[in-house]
Amino acid sequence: MVDEIESADKKFQKELISGTSALVLLSVLNDANDAAEPMYGYQIAKLIHSQGEDIPMLKEGALYPVLRSLENSHLLVSRVEPSVSGPPRRYYRITDEGLKTLERWRKIWSQMTTFVDAIMKGESHDQER
Amino acid sequence: MIRSVDEYLRQLKKELAGSDPAVIQDAVSDAEEHLRIALAQAYKANPNISEADAIPPIIDKYGSAEEVAAAYRQMEQRLPPGLGRPASSARRSPIARFFGVFADPKAWGALLYMILALGTGIIYFTWVITGLSVSLGLLVLIVGLPLLILFLLSVRVIGFVEGRLVEALLGVRMPRRQRATDKSIGWWQRIKNLFRERNTWTTMAYSISQLPLGIVYFTVFVALIAGSLYFIATPITMLVFHAPPYVIVGDTEYRAVNWAIPLFVIGGVLLITAAMHLAKLVGRAHGGLAKFMLVSKKT
Repeated sequence: MVDEIESADKKFQKELISGTSALVLLSVLNDANDAAEPMYGYQIAKLIHSQGEDIPMLKEGALYPVLRSLENSHLLVSRVEPSVSGPPRRYYRITDEGLKTLERWRKIWSQMTTFVDAIMKGESHDQER
Repeated sequence: MIRSVDEYLRQLKKELAGSDPAVIQDAVSDAEEHLRIALAQAYKANPNISEADAIPPIIDKYGSAEEVAAAYRQMEQRLPPGLGRPASSARRSPIARFFGVFADPKAWGALLYMILALGTGIIYFTWVITGLSVSLGLLVLIVGLPLLILFLLSVRVIGFVEGRLVEALLGVRMPRRQRATDKSIGWWQRIKNLFRERNTWTTMAYSISQLPLGIVYFTVFVALIAGSLYFIATPITMLVFHAPPYVIVGDTEYRAVNWAIPLFVIGGVLLITAAMHLAKLVGRAHGGLAKFMLVSKKT
């Protein structure tokens, strides 16, 4: 029974993460863009992980396929650079199209959170009466 | 317990077995990059730590091979097929958009499809007409019915194969698996469904129409491409044959004058570009037709 609840919680959390990770990555790379510094995968993963340490389902490894797919849809571009230590690093940068997409997604996100919050507070219910 | 980066990578490959080799390659290179950097960081923090001790917490954060493999597989499902890259909506001048068609894989795919359509058209047409007439002709005998059923099943296979071709070359999402057979219903019901389904008959109609369409596609595009190449090559043919391009109307021969030659070249370049656009356009229309005719509404 406890296992069942836990796995349901994990599933819910996982779905939320996979639904939002594209938005999160675009935002991170947008900030990096403002600072005029492209970031590589490990940096991005560390940054995101440091913000979400108490979310156990947030796995760094799951961010990479999202980066790849964003690049595939031309929202990001990447280039590989050799590094002094360790393997070459793939640096990601947000494109103009990515910036526009982020702008639109932010609006959708705030719509979504406002909506969910409102429902959970029961405001809509009060209005019905 | 995983004790080294290499061991993790091996496990990741194992978890991804059966996926597209390109996906496996992506996943392994991402993981290697991340884990090696993380390991270097761990050594920096504590020079005495061994790889076997440093790796478990890193992997805990990165995700197990199973979880990471699942993430890549999930992403792959959402990605559009081969050529189906979303068109970049970047603002480009009309001229750049006009000539940009040469960099568009969809236009090349469509052009290839148009050329191939003659061949596939001949095969589908022959198969369907032969199958239909043989099995209908033998319907008065007892062997006619099983033959007809086998033929209808083969039409399904044609629909599936053509769908794969359409997806690969025209970038229209088509079924990637054969239709699942409902095992819960009896074989008699299944045979009845075979006759009753819209899909069976539309696929047959599509296969028959592929021949006339294929002839038109092939002729038009071969003529357009050959014609424009001829125009583009006029300066070379003039050098070789010492004669300008000409047409004969009735008894009169009209020769192109020398100053018109650059116009021929420009015209040829414009024509071949327009032909690419036409291929893309016709490809899109044909993709729509294929989707309408070959894909069953209910699964």
